[in-house]
Amino acid sequence: MSAAKRVQQWATFARTWHIFDCKWQDPYESANVIKKYLMGLHKPIYHPMNDCGDVVVCINSREIALRGDEWRKRAYFHHTGYPGGASWTLAWELHNKDPTMIIKKAVYRAMKGNLQRRHTMERLLIYPGETVPEDVLQNVTSQIRQNRLVPTRLDHIPEEVSKGYPKVMDYPEDYILK
Amino acid sequence: MSAKNIFLKPGFVRAPLQNGVGRYVCQLQRIVLKFCKSNGSSRGLRDYIEQDLVDFAKENPGVVVYLKPRRHRGPVVVAEYLNGDRVWMNMHNKTHSEITKWIDVLRTQQGDNSTTRLRKYQYTDHPSIQGPWTPFTFKNPALNTAELPNQAYGANDRLPMSATEQLRLMFEAQKLGKNEELKTAE
Amino acid sequence: MALIRRCVPLITKIVRIHPTTVQTQKIHRWVSPTLMELKRREDKVGKRINPRNTYLEWNLEAELYGFGQRLNEEFDPDLLLQAFTDRSYVIKEEMKQKEMDFDIKMKDNRELAEKGDKFINAYIQNYLETVLPKFPMEGVKGVRNFLVSEDTLANISLNLGTKDIILAAEYPVDKYILATNFKAVVGALLESSGEERAAHFVRDFVITQLNGQDVNEYFSIEDPWSMLADIVKKAGGNLEPRLIGEVGRNTLLACYRVGLYVDKKMVSSGFGESVAIAKEMAAREALKKIFGTEDHMKPIDFKLEGIPKPASQTRYQISAS
Repeated sequence: MSAAKRVQQWATFARTWHIFDCKWQDPYESANVIKKYLMGLHKPIYHPMNDCGDVVVCINSREIALRGDEWRKRAYFHHTGYPGGASWTLAWELHNKDPTMIIKKAVYRAMKGNLQRRHTMERLLIYPGETVPEDVLQNVTSQIRQNRLVPTRLDHIPEEVSKGYPKVMDYPEDYILK
Repeated sequence: MSAKNIFLKPGFVRAPLQNGVGRYVCQLQRIVLKFCKSNGSSRGLRDYIEQDLVDFAKENPGVVVYLKPRRHRGPVVVAEYLNGDRVWMNMHNKTHSEITKWIDVLRTQQGDNSTTRLRKYQYTDHPSIQGPWTPFTFKNPALNTAELPNQAYGANDRLPMSATEQLRLMFEAQKLGKNEELKTAE
Repeated sequence: MALIRRCVPLITKIVRIHPTTVQTQKIHRWVSPTLMELKRREDKVGKRINPRNTYLEWNLEAELYGFGQRLNEEFDPDLLLQAFTDRSYVIKEEMKQKEMDFDIKMKDNRELAEKGDKFINAYIQNYLETVLPKFPMEGVKGVRNFLVSEDTLANISLNLGTKDIILAAEYPVDKYILATNFKAVVGALLESSGEERAAHFVRDFVITQLNGQDVNEYFSIEDPWSMLADIVKKAGGNLEPRLIGEVGRNTLLACYRVGLYVDKKMVSSGFGESVAIAKEMAAREALKKIFGTEDHMKPIDFKLEGIPKPASQTRYQISAS
């Protein structure tokens, strides 16, 4: 193999590091997006037998958003293997114990259960907050777009901005705000 | 691929020695017809030799033809190719027309094709003219200097416009319109 | 229990008469060890190969005629026979003749091979200079050396079916004999049909070996960066490498892409495991563009008629710089 062909191959199969911000994102919707990058499904060279998956770094996993009352209703099952070892943990409980667990389980569940899945999961890095180790952040050269728009809370908007925002109408003077 | 083929030597469709790029060379170099002069199983081959062999030799001067009469042995055709392959074919009880067709097959093939399993039905030295895809191929060059994570590259940019945003734009347009009117009034 | 015990001989008798297992061909116990021993002895002695020309169905004259006809060439039969006679065969025959006390002069193919070799070298040089007009002389020399190398010529000779026809002391013949034989065939063609036919013969069988090959592989550039810098400097440009892409900087699989800019316009780009390698590859890409041998270059023309005369020298002289 000549040098030109060698570096061509090296470049084609290079692993890109993507970053994904989980803030206000549904983990089950995001998992379908993250999965594609982890497995390399977004590349034209994809083939089940070639190892072309990328690395995905998830940040802000503490601030994910579940739908409806899933925080209260969704239960995560675990069995220790011993008799009576079954346990059901609610989503909010699990999230309090480990804020990275829900997104990790969502991505794991989104992929087909084959021998490759656990190796693919090794390329998923999840951080609960904004802080990412410097050497990981240096590798990141691409960002995955989120599914949902991150809403801005009213109390986070400065008062001058909210005052100057256009209004459709003013409340009547005798209107009683609850 | 059937189970019959799994032990065959795998290969691609290739022309030996770039045959046809310069000039075409018939790959069959010699053919040996072995037959019995009396046995009935050689009847078809004898007919072929009587009627068609001279024409075959005239049409293909590059193929050396040998005849080998053997007493009480089955009829056989052995074809030898330029790449060293040797194809042995039993012609027992084959009719004249069948033998004509088989010899045509032997003449036109490039070697012992039946011992290779074709991995693909096409082959190219240059799979891509523009160069193979790389992660850099359709990458946004602005990402090179961007500080990641950055909401400008991370936010969803394909959502339909929200009602609030629409209202804001309408308000801006209204303000502009007023100004224009004022300007025209002056 | 007693009943069962009484029935046992009966059952065994029935089984003996109606065997339940499928009948297989009986292979005697001595067959396997005997075959193994025979194989061992055969391996020890070495497998004997019968040369094709010792078969009953062999006619050298017909084979030589067929050889010429197959390649669509008119050969002088005597010259062709001489081209197929190797020096080792002549020596062997002379020894035999001395023993049997008679003398027939035989000519070997050394002279023809020398003539053919000279012609092949000169023609290929001219041809390559014509079809690769911008490629440096060193590169043309590298490509030519590949084409006239013993391996290439032996492979061509083998695939033209000379293996069985060659008259040599040994069988199967080695690469040197095959290559010499091909050169001698060209020499024989040169004498029997003239220069143009010989040239087309070399073109159709030797130069076409470049089909699907990357000519840059035969031209090794020690320091592509300084070479490119010299060329750009002479043209009066300003060469500038820029890092235009990187992937996984802190990993083992790091990959960089460096673009070369001349006067703020991108000329080429190269990939690499490190920035230095990427820069070197980018320089190589740029040189390929200058030499007209990029990956998407127009394929080499294999149909040039006659003996081409290379045009005026517009090449980059590396030795001078």
